[in-house]
Amino acid sequence: MKESRVWMVASLVLTCAVAAFALSQVYAVTRPKIDYQRKVKAVQEALAAVMPAAASFHEQEPGEMWFALDAQGNRIGTVLKAAKQGYAGPVPVTVGIGLDGRIVAVRVASASEGLKETPGLGLKATEPSFLSGFVGKTAPEVRLTRDGGAIDAITGATITSRAVADGVSEAMERHLEEPAP
Amino acid sequence: MSQPESRIRILTSGIIKENPTLVLMIGLCPTLATTMSARDGLGMAAAAGFVLIGSNLVVSAARRLVPDAVRIPIFIIIISTFVTIIDYVMQAYQPSLYKVLGVFVPLIVVNCIILGRAEAFAYRRGVLDSLLDAVGKTLGFALVLFVMGALRELIGSGTFFGRPVLPSTYRAAPMLFMLFPPGAFFLIGILKALVNKSGIGK
Repeated sequence: MKESRVWMVASLVLTCAVAAFALSQVYAVTRPKIDYQRKVKAVQEALAAVMPAAASFHEQEPGEMWFALDAQGNRIGTVLKAAKQGYAGPVPVTVGIGLDGRIVAVRVASASEGLKETPGLGLKATEPSFLSGFVGKTAPEVRLTRDGGAIDAITGATITSRAVADGVSEAMERHLEEPAP
Repeated sequence: MSQPESRIRILTSGIIKENPTLVLMIGLCPTLATTMSARDGLGMAAAAGFVLIGSNLVVSAARRLVPDAVRIPIFIIIISTFVTIIDYVMQAYQPSLYKVLGVFVPLIVVNCIILGRAEAFAYRRGVLDSLLDAVGKTLGFALVLFVMGALRELIGSGTFFGRPVLPSTYRAAPMLFMLFPPGAFFLIGILKALVNKSGIGK
C-alpha cells in the first residue's frame, strides 16, 4: 500500500496541505510583528534619506522630531515630520535641517506610503526635480515663488506644491523653537 | 541501535567525530558566509539547528508512510516549511540578525546537512535516535560556526560578541581581511588542517 500510485499522489498532497496549514498559523502570529518592524525600518530610511551624513538618530519627540547624530554622537542636524492638507489628502513631508538652519533635504511620502495626490501632477511632488528646489534654503525662502518665496511650484499642481512648502515651513518653525545644541 | 551507550554515541558523534562541516565537509556555504561575528555564527547555527531537529523528527515519525519514489520532494516540503517558520520568526523577533543573515536564512532549505540527515538517518531510524542525531549535528555545526565567527570577529574587528577586547590601537586598524570571504576560506583551511592532523574522523 505504501508504494501504490494513489498513495504516492495522496501523500504529497497531504504533506503540502499540512505544511500550508502550519505556515498559515505561523504567518498569522508573526505578521503584525513583521509589519511593525518594517514600519520602524521605513522611518529609519526616511530619516537617512534627508540626513545622509548622520550615523544615528535620537528620537526627540515621538514620530515628529529626531536629532541627527554623527558617529561620535555629536548633533549635526534635526529631522522633522509635518503634514499639510494637499489636493486629495494630507501630504507628509520629512525635512532634514542642518545646524546652520538650512535645509539638507526634503522627502515626500510616496504613493505606496499613502500619498493620494493626482498621478502625473501632484504625485510629482515626490520627485527630485521638485524637491531639489528646497535644498539649502532658509526658513523665509520656503514659499512658492508666487507667494513671495523661492520654491518653483510643479506646473498644474499648485495646491500640492503649496502643501509641501507649508509642511516644510511648519517643520522649520518648530525647529526654530528648539534650543540650539 | 537501542542500547543506551549507542544512543549517547549517536548524540556525541556529530560534535567531533562526524562533525558536519569539518569532517563530513557539508554545509560549508553558511559556514563561510555567515561567520563575520560570533553572534552571527551562533544565530545561523540556531536557525539551521531548528530546521534540522524539526525535519529529522517529522521525517522519522512519518518514515513508514512516505513512499520511496516521492520521498525527496516530501523531505523538501517538510524542510522548507520549517525554514519558512524560522524565517518569519526571525523577521518578527530578531530583525537585526535577520538583516545580517539575509538570504542565507531561506537558503537553509538547500543546506546539505539537513537533507543529508533526513535521507541518510531520519528516514531509516526511530524518532528518538533521529532527535539525538539532529541535536548532535546541530551542536557540531554550532561549534564550528562559533569558532569561525569568534576568531574572525576577534581578528577582524578586535571584539567578542560586539564587546571590545583587544586594545584600541589594534581596533583602529584591525586585520579586516578576516571579515572578507578570503579570511573565511583561510580560517576554515586552518581548522580543517588541524582536524586532519589530530586524526579525528579517521
